[in-house]
Amino acid sequence: MRSASQSAFSALLVLAVAVAVAFLTLPIVAIFWQVGLDGLADGLASDVARDAFRVTLKTNAISMALILGVGTPAAYFLATRRFPGRALVITILELPLVLPPAVAGLGLLAAFGRLGLLGEELEALGLTIGFTQAAVVFAVTFVASPFYVRQAITAFEGVDRTMLDASRTLGAGPARTFWRVALPLAAGGLGAGAAVAFARGLGEFGATIMFAGSLQGVTQTVSLAVYQEFDVDLNTALAISAVLVIASGGLLLAVKALPLWTSSRSTSRSLFARSAST
Amino acid sequence: MRRAALVFGVALIVALPQVAQGGPSAEPRLRIYAASSLTEVFPRIDRRPSYSFAGSNQLALQVRQGAPADVIASAAPTFTQGLFRERRVERPRMFASNTLVLAIPRSNPAGLRSVFDLRRPGVKLVIGTASVPIGAYTRRVLRNLGLTGVLSNLVSEEPDVKSIVGKVALGEADAGFVYRTDIQPVRDRVRAILIPARGQPKVRYELAVVRSSRDRAAARAWVRMILTNARARRLLRQAGFGLR
Repeated sequence: MRSASQSAFSALLVLAVAVAVAFLTLPIVAIFWQVGLDGLADGLASDVARDAFRVTLKTNAISMALILGVGTPAAYFLATRRFPGRALVITILELPLVLPPAVAGLGLLAAFGRLGLLGEELEALGLTIGFTQAAVVFAVTFVASPFYVRQAITAFEGVDRTMLDASRTLGAGPARTFWRVALPLAAGGLGAGAAVAFARGLGEFGATIMFAGSLQGVTQTVSLAVYQEFDVDLNTALAISAVLVIASGGLLLAVKALPLWTSSRSTSRSLFARSAST
Repeated sequence: MRRAALVFGVALIVALPQVAQGGPSAEPRLRIYAASSLTEVFPRIDRRPSYSFAGSNQLALQVRQGAPADVIASAAPTFTQGLFRERRVERPRMFASNTLVLAIPRSNPAGLRSVFDLRRPGVKLVIGTASVPIGAYTRRVLRNLGLTGVLSNLVSEEPDVKSIVGKVALGEADAGFVYRTDIQPVRDRVRAILIPARGQPKVRYELAVVRSSRDRAAARAWVRMILTNARARRLLRQAGFGLR
């Protein structure tokens, strides 16, 4: 009797997995089924698609540079220091994760828009941000950076404290310890965080259309192009979507593979070093 | 545990069809799919239906994809006539007309005084995409006035007219082509620069009953109300629409 109810329960679990897998993969399979190989080539050859990919890669590359450049040292500080208000700082940095993108867009307008908080100051400096690629970079950086910073804090926290202490005891300064010890040891986690942030940046829509608008070749990113093309040229929209599915899938694989790869590499390397010296 | 699972399962089975139909359907409300520029006036005429406002091109696409619309109101005959040819809607009826204006923020950061000032380099111009009626009409205005060169000042193409109004009202854009009727609701932040009559395209709005409507009789009655009811006509006129 018991085994019968147990196997019924297992069947239920398997059913749940099957339903989840079918529901989540069907829309993705449908995109490829609808577009076909010829459609994919035609769609990607269109000016709209090519401009959109160019704009997206450029703006996201700049965003990622900003996120890595500022986010990495910030995360290192937050992971290695304890101070009052630390939890609050981390929570603030994580806020965009849960913020609706439309709210992010409005916030960016309210802060950096022409009539915004810093509008006059920026104008006085001759800087306009709205409707430029800078606005796309702002939007992407705002929504994507928490994905990296959060992961980076965890990665740095995972670095064995004794390694950092050993580095300091052996005479390396704090900066040298960061570069030569903490950074290589956390590299896997940092890479994974960067991949997630990049994936989020590729998909950015709400904040971008509000703050940067949509103009082909200037501010129209792939997500905006999909939205605009879906009632103009569905094929182009589908082709761009198909590429995004592949890119996102690749990034997800990277997220899963990167920590494994670096952790195995760093352990084996230290093992070799130890055996060589004895 | 088992009882909880059972309750959950039953709740799911009961809830799903409700969600799919969009809530309890004790008294079915008409679903009116209407052009963005009708956002203010339609609910004022009749607040009982549930409205879906978007660019007419998107509404037509949604109807084509089987959206549960009873009536579609388009800002350009192209879309209603296209649906009519595909036998998806009954014969469309024209119910209003409109004209285009150039909307500028009250602060007028670019110092614009006429549409011809749009030729000045550096003016931030926002228009609709070519597929949405306001975008198509705008391109016609620019052609009529020999102003297609101002497109080099374009900073954004928006999916519907209300997005253009929003960018101008926020002061982000220096100017945007919108319908005359879009100014009224935001007149504390936006004012209109008139466009010469020779530049004006014919902007005609059409209503059509969707053939797959659950209640075509009610849908037809609603269309008739917009076309003939004195109060409806007066509200349309007050909002700035032409009635012919």
